[in-house]
Amino acid sequence: MLGPGIAAYLILSVVLFATGAFGVLIRRSPLIILLALELMLNAGNLALIAFSRQLGNGDGQIFALTVMVVAAAEAVLGLGLIVAVSRKRVELDVDKLTTLSG
Amino acid sequence: MNEFTAPSIDWSALSPVLVSLGGAVVVLLVSLFLPVRIRRGFGAVVASVCFLAAGAAAIALFAADETGRGIVADALRRDRLAELAEIFVMGAGLLTVGVSFRERGGGDRAGEYYALLLTAASGMAFFVSASNLMTLFLGLEWFSICLYVLTAIAVERLSGLEAGLKYLIVGSFGSAVLLFGSALVYGATGAIGFEQIAAGTDDAERLFVVAGLAMILVGLAFKASAAPFHMWTPDVYEGAPTPITGFMSAATKVAALVVTLRVLVTVFPSEAELWTVALAVIVCISLAWGNLAALVQTNVKRMLAYSSISHAGFLLMAIAAGNALGGRALLYYLIAYSAVSVGSFAVVAIRERELAGPVTLASLAGFGWERPFLGTSMALFMFGFIGLPPAGIFLGKFYVFSAVIDRGWTWLAIVGVVATVVSVYYYAGVIRAMFMQRRELAVVAAGGSPPTDRALVAAVAVAVVVTIGSFVAADPLLEIARDAVALLPFPEG
Repeated sequence: MLGPGIAAYLILSVVLFATGAFGVLIRRSPLIILLALELMLNAGNLALIAFSRQLGNGDGQIFALTVMVVAAAEAVLGLGLIVAVSRKRVELDVDKLTTLSG
Repeated sequence: MNEFTAPSIDWSALSPVLVSLGGAVVVLLVSLFLPVRIRRGFGAVVASVCFLAAGAAAIALFAADETGRGIVADALRRDRLAELAEIFVMGAGLLTVGVSFRERGGGDRAGEYYALLLTAASGMAFFVSASNLMTLFLGLEWFSICLYVLTAIAVERLSGLEAGLKYLIVGSFGSAVLLFGSALVYGATGAIGFEQIAAGTDDAERLFVVAGLAMILVGLAFKASAAPFHMWTPDVYEGAPTPITGFMSAATKVAALVVTLRVLVTVFPSEAELWTVALAVIVCISLAWGNLAALVQTNVKRMLAYSSISHAGFLLMAIAAGNALGGRALLYYLIAYSAVSVGSFAVVAIRERELAGPVTLASLAGFGWERPFLGTSMALFMFGFIGLPPAGIFLGKFYVFSAVIDRGWTWLAIVGVVATVVSVYYYAGVIRAMFMQRRELAVVAAGGSPPTDRALVAAVAVAVVVTIGSFVAADPLLEIARDAVALLPFPEG
């Protein structure tokens, strides 16, 4: 039995990417924004792996592995920064982080 | 059973990346065992040596060979474009070491600071030699993550943390867009290598290619801080430690723009009509937004941030021309721009240390008379930003405009000239503040005047020499720029 075609995977990855992008733009908690960023990166991964499977070459899968490493580094750094901000006893809300403006 | 053949790796061509990365490891490990008071000196010395060595290696590679070829199994590419960009990055790094040497506070994390600076430069050197979509993404994230940490390195300041978090969020957003675009291009052409993609675009699904091109361009525009993808720039430039701001404004721009040039010209020659027009739109928005927002700034760092957005406009204009003249103009412009940029942030850094507070136009009052050398240099840098002689940006702008006129886009050159005229107001405002404004009594140096900072003054002096030198020695530099872009297949001549 055949699974869903490449189109289904692509549509799912576009939906995930859009969800992530939308989340980054409208959510205010930095934690949720980090989650949404991960969603965007992994939407890219899904598209890469689907294409790799369709094309029958491994480049996309290697690319996706690299992206996972980078995404992990980014998440660690993001969480570190959030912890550092929250230690300053500042409410975690990106709309209220407005020391810098002008 | 297949014969195993290891990929060929040209280690010598990788040396700028390896030297700076090796230096970072040394600084990071050794400074752990050193007493806090000598960590800063140790880090600065090792970083300077590594930047010099990496720059010298890049110069030697540039001189040795005019051909371009793949290194590390075609994942990276050595050619003169990459090597020239590496020279710029290492030069900016070296000046940044001089500027940061006497930064107040943070002695216990000086090791991390210099290690991250070296790693960022190494990532940029990797990024500019990227030759497939994976190394492109990896290089981009490599130096970006280092810069996120450097922005927030003063963890006791909330503004630094805030800037770091904002940079991380917006920067990662840009990278994710670039990644998705790369995935689409890979899907359409079945390749991730730049040249293979270019060969495969003819019989590819055009929708995917165009969408991928657009998303890759947006991702790179985020890094180059071109409007409308610039929203992080003012906050991050203001919140980051000033030496790092100078490094970001010079080296990140070099890396992002050189890679934009390379990607657009080598990967998407068949879509040249499309990306030149798209760039022209980005150029107009950047010039308009950068200049108009800079007019109302009173904080000098924010003003320079908006100025860097408008300069991203001028630099992208050179790429939008889509011809070899534009490529030359871009590289030449970058020499002068990097020097002016690092130099002006260095002057802001020393004023900031004197005041122990943000530098505004009001608090610059009388600075030109108090510190004649730094004041005059700052005035020169401001003239440089406007594009007046004797600074190289004068000729840079001239070549950029002639490149777009060559393409038949006189209107874009006119937009550039108008933007330049508008920019006179805010750049001249700094000179006016330094030399013609009465000093208010409220502005006094915090804790007495700090001792003369030889490292910073030397960095400013080098920036002055490069700024003027790029004007005086324009011909040889243009020759170098021409050699660097000689291998790129420009769509128009």
